[in-house]
Amino acid sequence: MRLKKSAVAVLATASLLALAACGGSNDSGGNDTVVPTQEAGGGAGAGKNPDAKAPMAVPDDAAEGGTITVDTVNVPATLDPTRAYYTDSTEIMNLVTRALTQYVYDPDTNDMVLIPDMATDLGTPNEDNTEWTFTLRDGLKYEDGTDVKAEDVAYAVARSFAIEELPDGPTYQLQFFQDGDTYKGPFKDKTPYKGVTVDGNSITIHMSQPFPEMDYYASFPVFTGIPQAKDTKEEYGNHPLATGPYMFEDYKPGTSLTLVKNPNWDPNTDPGRIQAVDKWVFHFGEDTAKTENTILSDTGDAQTTVTYDNITPPTYKKISADGPERLVTGTSPCTYMWYLDMRKITDINVRKAIGYAYPYVDVWKAGGEIVGLTRVPGTSILPPGTAGRVEYDVLGIKGQNTDPEKAKELLTQANAMGYELKFLYATDDPLSVAAKDQLVKGFEAAGFKATPIASTTDKIRDARTDPDSPINVRSSGWCSDWPSGGSWFPAQWDGALADLEGMPNPAMFVEKDADAKQKEILSLPSDQVPAAWGEFDKFIEETYYPAVVTGYSGTAIIRGSKIGGFYNDNVRGMPTFSIMYTTQ
Amino acid sequence: MALTPLEMAAPDVTQLPDQEKEAEIAGRSPLQIALARLRSDKIAMVCSAIVLIFVLIAIFAPLIAKLFGVEVRAGDPSSDTDIFNFPVIGPPDHGFTWKAPLGLAPNTGDDNLAEWLYGARTSLGIATVSTAVSTLIGITIGLVAGFSRGWLDRVISFIIDTFLALPLLLIALALAPIITLRFADQPTTLKYAQVIALTSVLIFFGWMQLARLIRGEVLSLREREFVQAARVMGVPTRLILFKELLPNMMAPIIVSISLGLPFFVTAEAGFSYLGIGIVGVPSWGQTVNKAVEYFDTYPLYLYAPVVGIFLLVVALNLLGDAIRDAFDPKTRR
Repeated sequence: MRLKKSAVAVLATASLLALAACGGSNDSGGNDTVVPTQEAGGGAGAGKNPDAKAPMAVPDDAAEGGTITVDTVNVPATLDPTRAYYTDSTEIMNLVTRALTQYVYDPDTNDMVLIPDMATDLGTPNEDNTEWTFTLRDGLKYEDGTDVKAEDVAYAVARSFAIEELPDGPTYQLQFFQDGDTYKGPFKDKTPYKGVTVDGNSITIHMSQPFPEMDYYASFPVFTGIPQAKDTKEEYGNHPLATGPYMFEDYKPGTSLTLVKNPNWDPNTDPGRIQAVDKWVFHFGEDTAKTENTILSDTGDAQTTVTYDNITPPTYKKISADGPERLVTGTSPCTYMWYLDMRKITDINVRKAIGYAYPYVDVWKAGGEIVGLTRVPGTSILPPGTAGRVEYDVLGIKGQNTDPEKAKELLTQANAMGYELKFLYATDDPLSVAAKDQLVKGFEAAGFKATPIASTTDKIRDARTDPDSPINVRSSGWCSDWPSGGSWFPAQWDGALADLEGMPNPAMFVEKDADAKQKEILSLPSDQVPAAWGEFDKFIEETYYPAVVTGYSGTAIIRGSKIGGFYNDNVRGMPTFSIMYTTQ
Repeated sequence: MALTPLEMAAPDVTQLPDQEKEAEIAGRSPLQIALARLRSDKIAMVCSAIVLIFVLIAIFAPLIAKLFGVEVRAGDPSSDTDIFNFPVIGPPDHGFTWKAPLGLAPNTGDDNLAEWLYGARTSLGIATVSTAVSTLIGITIGLVAGFSRGWLDRVISFIIDTFLALPLLLIALALAPIITLRFADQPTTLKYAQVIALTSVLIFFGWMQLARLIRGEVLSLREREFVQAARVMGVPTRLILFKELLPNMMAPIIVSISLGLPFFVTAEAGFSYLGIGIVGVPSWGQTVNKAVEYFDTYPLYLYAPVVGIFLLVVALNLLGDAIRDAFDPKTRR
């Protein structure tokens, strides 16, 4: 899944913005303050509960009504359910458009659990996972009072193939659904889509290849109901028909969104949402310092204000002293990596030397990350909480203990002392520049020649995804679409992707044995798949070391004092909007 | 603003009796008279002292840094900052220490004093070069435009108007990424290219006011008897411009210089704040940009560069005012 907009820019700025988190093992400073750190390996939604019962109980301390304000520096590009693919737009749409399945927060495990939404269960696959059947509940209604029909969900699925008219959405349907490579969506193609069949209240999705993880994918807003007669194509995102507890009252793209109660939402059909507050007000593109200071002040409306932007170090310091209970921390399912260009850096010893020389903590701190909180050290490509994840440490430095001597040794072995590393940074971002300074310092100390290549925040993504860029490492990252390696390796580590537009395979990783292993995993029975991905993760890093893992993203968000139900949705790294309320 | 030499040389009625008593001076140039007035102006003297101190700081920045035992951009984030990325010595959490008199920067652990000293150097260096070059350009173009009659004057005036109409900030914003991408893979060249580009932009937009002023002056002077006489005697145009006209325009030129300097200091800081100035070398504007979010948790981090800019600009401005007053009896307070 894509990170929310600003976070994408952060990834894009590459190595620069790495925020470091050093968990409890941080030896810097003599500060005795106890700070919240992330629990190791908090789950990221690997659990499932097909039997969750509706309605969801409203907590006892919830006040009647009230308004929750959400201030953020991010600006969702679109709120069309078919196109929502950023972590923030999918979380916001979770209040408005219901999908076939959904995630709900489990307070016992501090984890997200996959439960049914509009469907009565998590879907029924056929034997080889090539057909998935979902049955809709009774009593589902749109905000205008009309019934949600299975045909509407089938239409929404067909609509997701119109990637030319409605770009930027998730695209697994093109890869896995029947006719995914030929069907162009209902606007261009007037013949009905054959991949989805409707029988009364149930819909069946037919696959072109086994797709064992369809139940996770069915939680995307793509799988909501959209009545064909009311589809306004590009305009639909300005007021999607609500099936969830809230509906659009006013939406000014780029500025604000106001949601009010949807009178036609029936709590008895929904096991994962509550409708406690009267109103939600989202302010987009707000200044970070202003947002943080508003919530820190905690007066008036600020008591019911939250943000989903990670806090900055000075705010972390203040909130740790003033109101640590108003800070929520947790994992989010993203891994930052330095992708080493396998075609340019051909010697594995040089690649490993880069891993030893990378000044992890220095770069994170200089880039403004809070080590252990917004950036967690790690060594596996799959982030904590992914099903089947294997914990391993190829270099033996715990993903944070830089070892310049070892790097020099490897460079000498490879006869490559003074090897030139070229990486991007943005001159107009002071954090990026500061991180770049640390990278240069660290690599020069380990016997490399570091050549930072200047770019700007506007241009750095293009420069990074251009195969002809004069760089040999690419700083970026990846986030889970669902907590299994299936949403990781086929998307970035497939040799067939190496020369495609936009460099979907940033390490230019083309290895026959790895590709063969991937094929094999995809054909395994579904219960063995996650563990196989975990082993595959270890296999490519041990055998080829094509990427330096520069830590996992963490969530550190703050709220006003009169907000309840504010937890970390670790599937998206967002607050759990669907169960939030104002307290008495 | 435009003054004639006659007005400047006119005796100051209130002061004349005193001066006559003190000393019987036969003849003093307008410049001497102005300097004498300046010397008796307390504010002007205090301001020049402040400016002088800043100039010394700028020139001897490396020496002063060594004296304090601080080094520029030498921070080690993992050992110099704590879990909140705040410095482990000095303000804001610990007492004053001579190891870092102005504290360390959060996140990076770089020394603030060293950054400040070198920032003064950048600031004054760029301001001085910009002022000098733009003054030279302004004078030359102004003289040529004023003295040449007809089409050349009209063409130059049109060019001046065109430049005045160009938006400085927009051009700088557009130029910064172009320079960055042009020299993307040559880090050292990029550093100099950015300094040169910033200075060029400031010069590019700094000469028009003075050129206009000089042109107006020349227009009023060129029909005067001493110029006529010089032409009748066959003095070459070049000499008339530089020997006859230029000395009569020292006042507006000095005033323009003294007001140009503070403008360029603020402009450099402003551009660096916006991230379109220079990034390779320390600069007050950059530090302010980084320090804004620490205004209440670590005020010293923000105040050091702000006070630097404030003191320098106020001193330069007051000095400029005093110089103008000294040269123009009509504006005496």
